Amino acid sequence: MRAVTLTKFFPVRPGFARGAVRTATMAAVLASAACGPLTTPKPTDPDALADYREANDKYEPLNRKMYNLNMKVYKYAFRPVGKAYIWAVPSPVRDALGDMVQTMNEPIVFFTDVGAGRPRRAGDAFVRWTVNMTAGVGGLIDVAKMLGYPHHDDDAGLVLATWGVPSGPYLFLPGMGPSSFRDSAGYGIDVGLSPWNYVPRGYGLLTFNWAYNIAGIINGAANSIDAFDQVQRDALDPYAFIRSAYQQQRRAQAEAIKNDHRATTPDWYN
Amino acid sequence: MGSTFFRSVAFRRRALGLVVIGGLLAGGGAVPGHAASGSAHDFVQHFGDQLVAIINSKQSSSAKKAALEPLIQQNIDVDSIGRYCLGRYWKVATPDERAQFLQLFHKVMINAVSERMVGDYQGVTFTIGNTISQDGDELVDGVINRPGNPPANVQLEISTQSGSPKVVDLKGEGASLRLTQRGDYASYIAQNGGQVSALIKALQKQVSRND
Repeated sequence: MRAVTLTKFFPVRPGFARGAVRTATMAAVLASAACGPLTTPKPTDPDALADYREANDKYEPLNRKMYNLNMKVYKYAFRPVGKAYIWAVPSPVRDALGDMVQTMNEPIVFFTDVGAGRPRRAGDAFVRWTVNMTAGVGGLIDVAKMLGYPHHDDDAGLVLATWGVPSGPYLFLPGMGPSSFRDSAGYGIDVGLSPWNYVPRGYGLLTFNWAYNIAGIINGAANSIDAFDQVQRDALDPYAFIRSAYQQQRRAQAEAIKNDHRATTPDWYN
Repeated sequence: MGSTFFRSVAFRRRALGLVVIGGLLAGGGAVPGHAASGSAHDFVQHFGDQLVAIINSKQSSSAKKAALEPLIQQNIDVDSIGRYCLGRYWKVATPDERAQFLQLFHKVMINAVSERMVGDYQGVTFTIGNTISQDGDELVDGVINRPGNPPANVQLEISTQSGSPKVVDLKGEGASLRLTQRGDYASYIAQNGGQVSALIKALQKQVSRND
């Protein structure tokens, strides 16, 4: 199976069906609001309070509903489609598609690296974009990686974190997965930074955009099937496991960006 | 459902994979006398070498599991990790519940490691980086390389509190395994009336699935 990680596996593609996601989110929020409490009461016991603060999940009842909704969609739609896709499409083609999606995301990585004040990282993202879009045939081959420029993650949520903006409570959003107030605001900024949203909307481009996004999502789902199965098998409360891992990882990612003080000259020059 | 959702779960798979590798790395240093005198770096290097030998050997899966079990017991401080994972509920658990939990936790750990050892990590190599001290423990950085996969950065926490160097935590992609596991258990207990017995029951079910 292709290697999959939160940081390296599948880049955010903010261009995808933003309106649909927003509508689904709002509908889900409203539906949930109508049938139960949205927040967890703050415990008084000091030990329980410590756990509550560590989880940072004030809206847990609502978040769990969103999580369950996501899992249902996955189980009945994405898993079977992903299985069929794996059966029908050979692995090198799937890998090439994954590379293309990652390359298409590089402009966001570039702009956010600039926002974080990390010129070396921005330079790496720029090289990746230009090399892969040309020598890499529109991103289908990760030539930049072969040249010593592997992909790195960055997004506006992480930039805000490096600026000292607190994460705010944890959120689990339909269609987006684990997030926080800060990271979901960052997602909105990412959408604005993606150049794909500024090109003229001809019929051909629209067709490409939808085909690309749908293929990207199916590819992502297919690559994650083993992961989902493992989550369900090994965790007693997968929701809590993902919550903890996500929050820790975002902290570590922001810290890594803060501590990246490499010179702007490439390694071979030094 | 967008890509970020899949990424999050993909991360979890990675985290679980790293757990396995951490366990594997932790399982190889069982050389009497070596642990007491060697540094954390040597300890990790030594057990890592042994583990890679087991993973890449031609033994059957069951033979590998059998070889792994004593190594885990000797080189991972499973009791200490188990107590940490039970968090605040350790205080409220009865002595009997504590004993039952730890016994099950040992099995969970062994299953988690051995279950994925075959196949997933064939051809694995590793390199050890810097070691730093933190609160009396040693943190050893490492990079795990698997064929066809991007290199994974991990950090092992080695404690000598039990008398000899033992692994007490593993961080993969910035997430601490024991902290994440504690979140899982604490949440499960909280969702089930705050009863430790509910967790024990769930772990029994989980372990029996693997036997």
